[in-house]
Amino acid sequence: MAMAMSAAPERRRTSFLRRATTRQAILVWCFLAPSLLIFLLYRILPLAWNILLSLQAWSPLKPAVFIGLENYEEMLTDEVFWQSLWNTVFIILSAPVGIAMALGLALLVNSNISGRNVYRTLIFLSYPLMTVAVAIIWRWMYDERVGLLNYVARLLHLTDTPIPFLNSFFWALPSVVVANIWQMLGFYMIILLTGLQNIPSSLFEAAEIDGATAGDRFWRITLPLLRPSIFLCFVIGMLNSVTSFDLVYVMTGGGPGRATEILVTYIYKLGFVQTRFDYAAAVTVVFFVFLITVAWAANRLSGGNAGARDME
Amino acid sequence: MMRRSPTWPIHLALIAVCFVMLVPFYWVLKTSVSGENIFTYPPNIVPQNPNIFYYVDVWYAIPFARYFLNSVIVSAITIAANVVFNAMAGYALTREFHGKGFILILFLSCMMVPFQATIIPAYLITGQLGLLNSYVGLALPQFSTIICIFVFKASFDAIPGSLIDAAKVDGLPEWRIVWTIMLPLAKSAMATNVILSFIWSWNNFLWPLIMTRTPEMQTLPLGLARFLSYQEDTTGALYAFCIMVLAPGILLFLLAQKEFIQGLTSGATKG
Repeated sequence: MAMAMSAAPERRRTSFLRRATTRQAILVWCFLAPSLLIFLLYRILPLAWNILLSLQAWSPLKPAVFIGLENYEEMLTDEVFWQSLWNTVFIILSAPVGIAMALGLALLVNSNISGRNVYRTLIFLSYPLMTVAVAIIWRWMYDERVGLLNYVARLLHLTDTPIPFLNSFFWALPSVVVANIWQMLGFYMIILLTGLQNIPSSLFEAAEIDGATAGDRFWRITLPLLRPSIFLCFVIGMLNSVTSFDLVYVMTGGGPGRATEILVTYIYKLGFVQTRFDYAAAVTVVFFVFLITVAWAANRLSGGNAGARDME
Repeated sequence: MMRRSPTWPIHLALIAVCFVMLVPFYWVLKTSVSGENIFTYPPNIVPQNPNIFYYVDVWYAIPFARYFLNSVIVSAITIAANVVFNAMAGYALTREFHGKGFILILFLSCMMVPFQATIIPAYLITGQLGLLNSYVGLALPQFSTIICIFVFKASFDAIPGSLIDAAKVDGLPEWRIVWTIMLPLAKSAMATNVILSFIWSWNNFLWPLIMTRTPEMQTLPLGLARFLSYQEDTTGALYAFCIMVLAPGILLFLLAQKEFIQGLTSGATKG
C-alpha cells in the first residue's frame, strides 16, 4: 500500500518529464526542419546527384545509361579541363597574396591613430559590392585604349605600347586575380583585425619589458596567435577565388582562348551551353574533391585546428 | 611605457591604400557623367561638362524598372525566409537534443559546399519542383544560410537562462517565449541577417543566369551583364547603369556598417 502510494507520483513525474522531453524534441526538429530541408535539397542531394550523374551518359532528352568511369577517362585527355584546373590553382594565389597585404593593413589600422574607422570603412567598401559591376569597373580600368592602368603605365613610361590586359594570354589571369584581391582585401583585413584585437595586450607589454624588438614581437607573438584567423581567411578566400564565376564570366568570359577558364566557368559552359550534364557533373566531382583537399591541406598547415574556436 | 612614434607614416600609407581602393569608383563615376573618354586619349582626369544624360539613357534604353522590381521581389522573399528559418534553426541549436552533434557537423560541412559545385543538380531539382523561371525558385537556394544560423545561435546563447526559466514558471508556451522574449533580444542578429541576405541575393548572378528563361524574370546583375554583352564598352550608359546598381548596396552598407561587420566576424569566427 505504502509502496504503491510512493510509486504512483514517481511514475507520473517521469512520464511528465518524458512527455516534456518528447515535446521539446519534436519542437526542436520542427524548428530545424525548414533549414535542414533547404540544405538537403541544395547541398547534400546535389553532391550525391553529381556523383550519380558523373557515372552516367545522360542529357535531358536521352534516357540515362550507366557507363562507369568513362566521363572521368574523357577528362584525362581533355585539354580544356587541365587548363581550367591549372587556372583554378593559379587563382587561389589571390588568397595568400591578398591576406599578406591585408595583414599589413590590419596592423596599420590597429595602431592607435585618429580616423582609423574611416580608413577601415573605405578599405572595406569594395567587399559588399555586386561582383558583376566590379567586373565591369575593372574591364574599364584595364581597357587597352583608354583604361586608367594603361594611361598610368604610359605616363610613367613603363611601357610604350598599350597592354591589352584582358586580351593577352599572359596578363588576363593575373588581371582577374588583381580584381579579386581588390574586392576581398577589406574582408581579410576585418577578419585579421578581429584576430589582432583578441590578442591580450599584456603579452606585448611583457615582451617589451623583456627587451623584444618589434620584429620579434611580430614573429613570436602576433603571427602565431593570428594563425586561426589567417587560416579562416585562407579558407574563405580560397572558396571565394575558385568560385569567382561572376568575375571571370563578365571580365573575360574565360578568354582569350581558354586563358582564364576556371573549373566553375567550364562546368557552367559544359552544362548550360553544351548541355552535357553528365560530363559537367564529373568535372564538378573533381572540382569538389580538389576543394576539400586544399582545405584539408590548409588545415594541416595551420596546426590542425579547424577555425578559430580555440581562440575564445 | 610605449614609446610614441610619429603617426604620419601610418596615415600616409593608409591614405595611399584608400586612394588605390577608391580610384576605380571614381573612374566609373566620372565616365558615367561624361562618357567622354571612351574614345579620347589621353583621358581627362576631371570630367568636362558633367551631365546626367547617360542615367536617362539607362532608364529608357533598358527595362531598368523591371530588373529593379525583380531584384527587389527576390531579395524580399530571400530576406523574409532567411530571417525566419535561421532564427528557428539557431534557436533549436541552443537546446540539447539527440543528434545535435550530427546536425552541427552536417551544417559545418555544408559550409564547404559552394553553390557553384551544385549548379547542375540544383537546376534539375528546381525543375522537378516546377519552380524554374519563378521568383520563389530564384530565392529558394538562399532560404537558409549557415553563417546566419550561427549568428542567431550565438545571440540566443547570450540570453540569460534565468530569464527563460522565469517565463516558463509563468507558464508561457514555447513559441511565446521565442516571440516575446528571445526575438526582441536578438535584434542585432536579425539586423545582421537582413543585411547579409540582402547583399547575397541582390548580388547573386550565377543562379538567375542559369534558371531564368524570359527577360521579364531577369534581375539587375543579369540585366547589367546582358547590357554589357550587346553594348560592349561603347557607351557611358553602361557605367551609369553600374552606379545605379551599386548605389543601394553602398548606401545600405554605410548605414548599417556595424551590423554588417559584426555579422561577418562573429559568423566567421564562431562558425
